[in-house]
Amino acid sequence: MKLKLAVYWTGSCGGCDVSFLELGPGLLDVLPQLEIVFWPALVDAKRGDLEKLPSRSIDVALVNGVIRTAENKEMVELLREKSKQLGAYGACAHLGGVPALANHAPGFTEVVFGPGFRPASPWPEAPEDAPPALLPEALPLDEVVPVDFVVPGCPPPAGLIARFFQAALSGEVQAGQVFAEDKALCEECPRTREERRLTRIVRPHEVVPDPKTCLLDQGMVCLGPVTRGGCQAACPQAGMPCTGCLGPTPKAGDPALAMLSALASLVRAGEEGEDAFPQENQILDSLVDPIGTLYKYAYAKYARPLQRLARRREEVRA
Amino acid sequence: MPETRARIGVFVCHCGKNIAGTVDVAKVAEQAARIPGVVYATHYEYMCSDPGQALLKRAIREHRLTGVVVAACSPTMHEDTFRKAAEEAGLNPYLVEIANIREQVSWVHSGPAATEKAVRVTRTMVAKVQGNRALRPAELGVVRRALVVGGGIAGIQAALDIANAGFDVILVERSPSIGGHMAQLSETFPTLDCSQCILTPKMVEVARHPRIRILAYSEVEEVSGFVGNYRVRIRKKPTFVDPSKCNLCGECARVCPVRVPNEFDRGLSTRTAIYIPFPQAIPSTYTLDVQNCLGILPLRCGKCAEVCEAKAIDFDMHEEILEEEVGAIVLATGYELYPKEAMAEYGYGTVPDVIDGLEFERLLSASGPTRGEIRRPSDGKVPKEVVFIQCSGSRDPEHHKPYCSKICCMYTAKHALLYRHAVPDGQAYVFYIDIRAGGKDYEEFVNRAMQEERILYIRGKVAKVFREGDKVVVWGVDTLTGKRVEVRADLVVLAQAVVPSPGTAELARKLRVACGSEGFLREAHPKLRPLEALTAGVFLAGAAQGPKDIPESVAQASGAAAKVIALLSAPKLAHAPEVAEVNEELCSGCGICAPQCPYGAISVDEVAHVNEILCEGCGTCVAACPSGAMTFRNVEDEQVLRMVRAALEVADVGV
Ligand SMILES: Cc1cc2nc3c(=O)[nH]c(=O)nc-3n(C[C@H](O)[C@H](O)[C@H](O)COP(=O)(O)OP(=O)(O)OC[C@H]3O[C@@H](n4cnc5c(N)ncnc54)[C@H](O)[C@@H]3O)c2cc1C
Ligand code: SF4
Ligand code: SF4
Repeated sequence: MKLKLAVYWTGSCGGCDVSFLELGPGLLDVLPQLEIVFWPALVDAKRGDLEKLPSRSIDVALVNGVIRTAENKEMVELLREKSKQLGAYGACAHLGGVPALANHAPGFTEVVFGPGFRPASPWPEAPEDAPPALLPEALPLDEVVPVDFVVPGCPPPAGLIARFFQAALSGEVQAGQVFAEDKALCEECPRTREERRLTRIVRPHEVVPDPKTCLLDQGMVCLGPVTRGGCQAACPQAGMPCTGCLGPTPKAGDPALAMLSALASLVRAGEEGEDAFPQENQILDSLVDPIGTLYKYAYAKYARPLQRLARRREEVRA
Repeated sequence: MPETRARIGVFVCHCGKNIAGTVDVAKVAEQAARIPGVVYATHYEYMCSDPGQALLKRAIREHRLTGVVVAACSPTMHEDTFRKAAEEAGLNPYLVEIANIREQVSWVHSGPAATEKAVRVTRTMVAKVQGNRALRPAELGVVRRALVVGGGIAGIQAALDIANAGFDVILVERSPSIGGHMAQLSETFPTLDCSQCILTPKMVEVARHPRIRILAYSEVEEVSGFVGNYRVRIRKKPTFVDPSKCNLCGECARVCPVRVPNEFDRGLSTRTAIYIPFPQAIPSTYTLDVQNCLGILPLRCGKCAEVCEAKAIDFDMHEEILEEEVGAIVLATGYELYPKEAMAEYGYGTVPDVIDGLEFERLLSASGPTRGEIRRPSDGKVPKEVVFIQCSGSRDPEHHKPYCSKICCMYTAKHALLYRHAVPDGQAYVFYIDIRAGGKDYEEFVNRAMQEERILYIRGKVAKVFREGDKVVVWGVDTLTGKRVEVRADLVVLAQAVVPSPGTAELARKLRVACGSEGFLREAHPKLRPLEALTAGVFLAGAAQGPKDIPESVAQASGAAAKVIALLSAPKLAHAPEVAEVNEELCSGCGICAPQCPYGAISVDEVAHVNEILCEGCGTCVAACPSGAMTFRNVEDEQVLRMVRAALEVADVGV
């Protein structure tokens, strides 16, 4: 029996769909075992085709991309209904991803397109063909439908895709499973740490990092320590700090807050003590774009409760 | 779900009227009884009393409680009491929590809001205790030996007390002899007994004591381990003289051609390269100061070895590194005086007849460079007018040290008085801000100096001291009369601020002991734990912890010794199990936690490890760990979240 697979994209760059090719020759082993019932990026299929499928007839559905429009939402709800198991594939579906940073600027359409912007129908005579409405916020998949498992990454690295197929083809995908390590990236990172202290913060373009020592020790804000392993620390190996695409480790909670408290712990200017505080604050303040750096992928998932809290506080005040 | 099986008991204490006067304790108990998981709730007049504890024990047994919350005073007060009581009733003591409804509620609130908050606080602790695990304290053995660092009067006293209680002591002294500053003093306030006469018997006792091993000319190089089990590396510098052979004949010093300033006389005399600091030095031996010797490398001189009949001199002696294990450590590294260079406005360091208090002690001392005659350094004349300046460098937050050096008022009065005894026709002036003579018989002593000895006390600060001809001119203001004062003196003595002895900070770092902002060793609590450092097993004595006179140094030393004796007498040490813990399944070994730990409790290889004995439970590492692998026993994230939720729930008090 072949595995009935659906793959769908919502607010996505398309990279996730392409990422399957990362399997290389391994793909040749996988493909014959699959029956692709729905995959718009690969085979022509329309919403109507999906609607025709009986309920829970798809074995596994993978959704990549953020939930950005009303249509995205309807489609994943439909997929949910038709599938036995539904997984978030890639950082956008998992955490909101880069496109969900837009939530940080709620009036962004005005900022980008000017006041009064409203998506207009290209055919004013047929308003039902207007582009789908934007949701007030970009959402990770599990805010819209129950999600059974996650294949994380931006895009998911080959090793993790392979791990997913292995489990899926033998029917062993567990509820809540995340196809990555529970331990942080540092576990896999070949770089060595010297003295654990942060004396400055630099951006990747500002230095040529030493090839052997930990990037964090060199002043780069590497999210390795809060991020799940599973990619063999690909970015740090190439001299780029980890940006956290595999998502936080199971107990890290909000990765930005966890990293912030780690940075605040590590920062050191001169002798420890209050005298050093102003200088240490300066070092921490030199972090450019803290939201984009620390929440690059996870803003929608983790900053939302904080935003809700802030909104609630304003309501209470008012 | 632990909640469904939980059987929690809540005990609300009235604390007489302390709590019950403000909080409706019956209502708190009634509300607590409604919390899911609570099977028993009551209130009682004094929970800490015997009947109160009996009530707790009975309830634990009768209701088969799995957790207890006592809503009472701060946990620093009676947490221990209730935990012990629970243990006696068969409940693991770490399943008992205190809800502080006194300090945090009844003492700071009033009206119905107080009762509402008491309910919330209680409910919060009920939420916490449901997540608590039963824990066992870690146990460890004790090395029954102590290390005392610094051989001044404080170190001597501590070493003697500990040794007399039957424990071995290693006494490490940096200089060639023990004795510290007290050995340099002439006579001591307020009784004017000769300092060396009361000190040297104690030094001899130390030397003779079978349980004390003196390591002079030695320093602590490295300290590892933890309370009860410290490992210490001690560097013993070579003295090039075998103390067992040296018979103190002094022939070596007579032939040595080198002359360098004598530290013991504060540079007011010279000594040879091979020397004994003072005749009663302990260990009783000569020491060759290799920095100033001509003969060591290359062999140019060697005169001393030629004349030494005892063949005690050994140029091949090497530095030794000793490794010792001790259970407790006393730090008694004493003080130094604020350096000359810092007091340019008082001419100190440039005008030869401006000296500090310890130099004056050497001038007063019968064994000093002038055999006790007061002669000034520049020309050896007997000074007829002497100005003493108190608070030189002390109580001057803008330019120097902000604190009071505490002993200067007293020793200045002593100095002026002894000067008048030595030079009956001389005049002594004392500039002071105010007189602080708060010890037993101290006020009387100062009064005696003022009245009987006709010493002129001028209240005011000195602005400038400079040399004019063979006089030292002192400009000051008498703040009582508002007039400018000029004294053309022959000698000026500065009561220099007391500062920690050099190297204190470094030593503190090796021991992970904190220093205050002025560099003195910091006690665990300024009032309640003045004799111990925050690091368990390390104790403080003498002026290393702050300016102190001899009686205070001795008292603190004996106190610290008592603490050491108690520690070394314990059959086993127990360490609270509420410490940090690594979840090895989650730890990536990133190593961010390790440098954060103020107690050096964390080591990292593949994963981090917390040394349960070293961890003091501060939680710093838990906050630093980015992956959530570091947790705190019985303060897990889930517990805290549950507590927050419980605290925020709308209280249904109905008052
Ligand atoms: C001018 C003057 C007059 C005084 N007159 C009186 C008086 O009349 N009456 C009175 O009660 N008090 C008097 N005092 C105060 C008295 O000197 C101190 O109270 C006393 O010496 C403190 O003893 P201590 O052992 O704490 O320190 P110290 O006497 O300073 O002894 C410390 C010892 O530790 C050693 N040491 C330092 N660092 C290390 C290290 N890292 N490793 C190993 N060893 C180390 C030092 O070499 C020294 O031997 C006077 C002080 C001054 C300055
Ligand atoms: S809780 Fe504090 S003392 Fe314990 S290991 Fe962590 S940092 Fe060190
Ligand atoms: S900070 Fe956390 S993850 Fe990193 S070594 Fe320490 S316990 Fe492990």
